[in-house]
Amino acid sequence: MASKPVQTPKFIVRALLIGAIVIALAVLPAFIDSYTLRIATGALMWAGLACAWNIVGGYAGYISFGHSAFFGIGAYTTAILMQSDFGASFFVTLLPAIILSIAVAVVIGGPTMRLRGAYFAIATWAFAEMLMQLVTVLDFTGGTAGLSLPAYLNEFFFYYTMLIAAAASFVGVWLLIEHSRFGFRIKALRDDEPAAESLGIRTNLVKVQSFALSAAITALFGSIYAYWTTYIDPHSVMGPQITDQMVVMVLLGGLGTIWGPALGGVLLWITNRYIWSTFGDTVIYLPILGVIIALVVLFLPNGLISLLVGRQRGKELISNILRKF
Amino acid sequence: MSSASSNAKSPGHPPLAIESVAKHFGGITAVDGVSLSADAGEVVGVIGPNGSGKSTLFNLAAGGLKPDAGKVRLQGIDVTGWPTWKIARTGISRTFQIPSLFINMTVRDNLLAAAVEGDWQRARDRMEDALEMLEISHVVDNLATELSGGQQKLVEFGRVCMRDPKVILLDEVTAGVHPNIRQIILGAIQRLRKTGITFLVIEHDMEMVKEICDRLVVMDQGKIVAEGDFETIANDTNVRKAYLGRT
Repeated sequence: MASKPVQTPKFIVRALLIGAIVIALAVLPAFIDSYTLRIATGALMWAGLACAWNIVGGYAGYISFGHSAFFGIGAYTTAILMQSDFGASFFVTLLPAIILSIAVAVVIGGPTMRLRGAYFAIATWAFAEMLMQLVTVLDFTGGTAGLSLPAYLNEFFFYYTMLIAAAASFVGVWLLIEHSRFGFRIKALRDDEPAAESLGIRTNLVKVQSFALSAAITALFGSIYAYWTTYIDPHSVMGPQITDQMVVMVLLGGLGTIWGPALGGVLLWITNRYIWSTFGDTVIYLPILGVIIALVVLFLPNGLISLLVGRQRGKELISNILRKF
Repeated sequence: MSSASSNAKSPGHPPLAIESVAKHFGGITAVDGVSLSADAGEVVGVIGPNGSGKSTLFNLAAGGLKPDAGKVRLQGIDVTGWPTWKIARTGISRTFQIPSLFINMTVRDNLLAAAVEGDWQRARDRMEDALEMLEISHVVDNLATELSGGQQKLVEFGRVCMRDPKVILLDEVTAGVHPNIRQIILGAIQRLRKTGITFLVIEHDMEMVKEICDRLVVMDQGKIVAEGDFETIANDTNVRKAYLGRT
């Protein structure tokens, strides 16, 4: 086997940068007020969710509009198990939430991931809608009234829980997709499925595995979110806006890249909260966000991350702008 | 679907045997009862006019299509109707008429991706060998989209070398490439056949066919109309009729 490449200064710079970001995130709560801490907690959650959606949408190339279902499965599993009937502690509920989301992802992903493009998107959207309607009519989910969870009013706890979950998600995806055979399999099927099959890659299995992994991470954040907000209803944790934001964040940051979804998730959430706090509880933030997203799609088709890493960097942006005009 | 257990591998069987295979698309018969076998280390050319069923025959052998009738055997194992990935793991590798590279990957990753279901421990060594044999070491870090058409053909050929195929199917692998690249591919085929790998080659380049193939099979309208060495085929009236419409 060929010898390992020597660690370059670029590698050291990258490692130092990541280390600095981790330390900054770890000490951040000591320097910000509780309102900003809530925004930071939300940013970590959305970065993790975008990372989860990116596994299927970015790496496997299957645009799912059904991920709100897995967020809801996580949220409802935690909420139901923490009701007085079961009385489970929060951390105990995480494993059943993840297992249930994987089971549902395998059952739904098996047949739907044989579809492609818009057909797969519509199938996953329909599945999420169906599940939301089901949760709305069932008694044990609280129906339209939703469920309340035991309140644990400790913003630091939720910040660090989200931080650990997001960091674990990114490290897991980085190891599994950027540094393993599974990563080659999933990227090969995205680029050319018949060619991947001709190399012995069992693409249907890889697709379901990626869907299940993505669902598990999404459900994990759904569980934490439910405990954090202390109240959930069908629309708040299973509504289409959950998936929509995940999709937009990944497109904004950089589809199929490791750091793009984190960048997109954090930037979009902070921008969202800033505009919302500036203009109040109106819908004015929606067109502003829409314009920002349209500009990025037009001039940076590979996402904001292409400004920081990649072959073209700023040159790509300038040439794209010049080409449009 | 047949199972491998009911069709034990036998050393006496040819690497590839296609037996009376047929495929229909609606009312059109694309392949009509074709039988063909190839021995270890043999290079068999499959020629014929456009639409004669050559690529469909490849797809039937490699699993992209399921035959309506007939059998495909790899070293005696009945692989008829098996999914493509399973046939590939049993020992068939192929290239496509239009190179099917993984466009968001570098040349390096394209080659490594071909080894994920094989001997992963030796993947990097094999990659170095393939890069050297095909003279593409200088583009190893280029994206697939940054390559010329000829380089794309080389990388796709390199991908099949990354595995341990018993049979390689090449679909117009030298079509439209620079003469230097053509020579590199010919050299690679000659080198690999000495290791016992069997080749089935679809080609329109008669110079190449003459140079590399031990035997030719001529297809027309889904059937084999002639079979033999280059000289025999060149003088066959059925072949002239297939290509020129007259004898």
